[in-house]
Amino acid sequence: MIYVIDSLNKAKYKSLLDDMFRLRARVFHDRLGWDVEVTDGMETDLFDRLDPAHVISVDDQGEVVGCMRLLQTTGPHMLADVFASILDGEPPLRSSTLWEATRFCVDTARLGTGRGRNTISYVTSEVMIGAFEYAMQAGVTDAVAVIDPVMNRVLQRSGNAPYGYVGSPKDMGKVVAMAALMDCSAERIANIRAFAGIEGDVFADEVAGLIAAE
Amino acid sequence: MDLIDLSTVRGSTENFELFIDRLCRRLGVEYGSYATMNPVSGAVQGYATYGQAWKQHYMQANLHHVDPTIHKSALSIAPVDWGRFERDAKFHAVFRSAHDFGITPQGITVPIRGPYGDRGLLSVTASMSAADWRGLSRSIIGELQHAAVHLHDAVIRSGLVMPQLARPILSHREREVLQWVAAGKSQQDVGDILGISTRTVEVHLRSAREKLGALTTVQAAGRAIGLGLIHPR
Repeated sequence: MIYVIDSLNKAKYKSLLDDMFRLRARVFHDRLGWDVEVTDGMETDLFDRLDPAHVISVDDQGEVVGCMRLLQTTGPHMLADVFASILDGEPPLRSSTLWEATRFCVDTARLGTGRGRNTISYVTSEVMIGAFEYAMQAGVTDAVAVIDPVMNRVLQRSGNAPYGYVGSPKDMGKVVAMAALMDCSAERIANIRAFAGIEGDVFADEVAGLIAAE
Repeated sequence: MDLIDLSTVRGSTENFELFIDRLCRRLGVEYGSYATMNPVSGAVQGYATYGQAWKQHYMQANLHHVDPTIHKSALSIAPVDWGRFERDAKFHAVFRSAHDFGITPQGITVPIRGPYGDRGLLSVTASMSAADWRGLSRSIIGELQHAAVHLHDAVIRSGLVMPQLARPILSHREREVLQWVAAGKSQQDVGDILGISTRTVEVHLRSAREKLGALTTVQAAGRAIGLGLIHPR
């Protein structure tokens, strides 16, 4: 189930947000060894203070199992300011209909492999569906996502292959980061849904429904 | 009716209001407004096509200090339908008397962020059935996004606060794509030449258009040549 949490509704979802920051600490700090700040077991950075939108997947037990952070490329964002090396020194793309997705992760310790609910593949797909439907509703047609080669392969295998890349993959701690382009389109969403077997509304509540579902 | 290309005219209140007015006519909405907050002073500056009476009432009552369509929408990355303010007391405080001025509380605000922490908000309103409004706002949302960034950048460029925006910074890939397009190649051709997908060509083109403040690719190519950013043979 997907929650879209931004600076308009974050007061209502504080514990969910904190759980998400804890998941990010486990994934990006503990497992992937990225050079990120962790305080009280939570990973946050400057961009979390710039009013991003978080797409959060919550499982049937109420645990946060996946997330992604979205920012407008017209304003400050990671590819412009932090991951510039991925772009080989080139200025970033900037468009009101292109969003940047960063900190995309799923709880690999809690989720299983294979297909069906409570798997890495299912939650990855659910987060992407939530993000793309939210983007489409906003008139946003494309996303540039900072991902690692493992996630890249997951996407390629799940009916969700990037249509292109900008810059080139770069070493970041224990892993490599790269910038992938994906269209926020009905076709792509249909492909992801078909692959993961996800039908119906993925959004959790009336607020997410109002802003994202139609 | 075409949009005014704000990058070719010196910024002025009249031009910005005319831009919004033409946008409204083209999209079939009633009123439009734009507001930006100075990131340093917090002062709100705006342009609107509303009637004089509502503008005066709005300014005199200092509604721009509390208006959630400005202050809350600025916190969102996505356009905010005013339906989201249904339970917001401040929204009702602003729009309580709007009806007397013929202003509808049915609208949507598109937030735009600039690279220096600047934020701009383009709003449009229309009184029609809720179902019609959902359909209309959905069909014009992409155009609103492009208009919002065009207007916001023009407003910022017109001021002396953010002169950095005056010269667009194109990436090598954006220049390359523009260069081939200027040489008459189709997006498909450009994709084949550069070994990237057509969609990747398109996303670079769109980014280049917006950086150059151009509404069309032809215009973007012309401007890039004028600025010496590309050199078609």
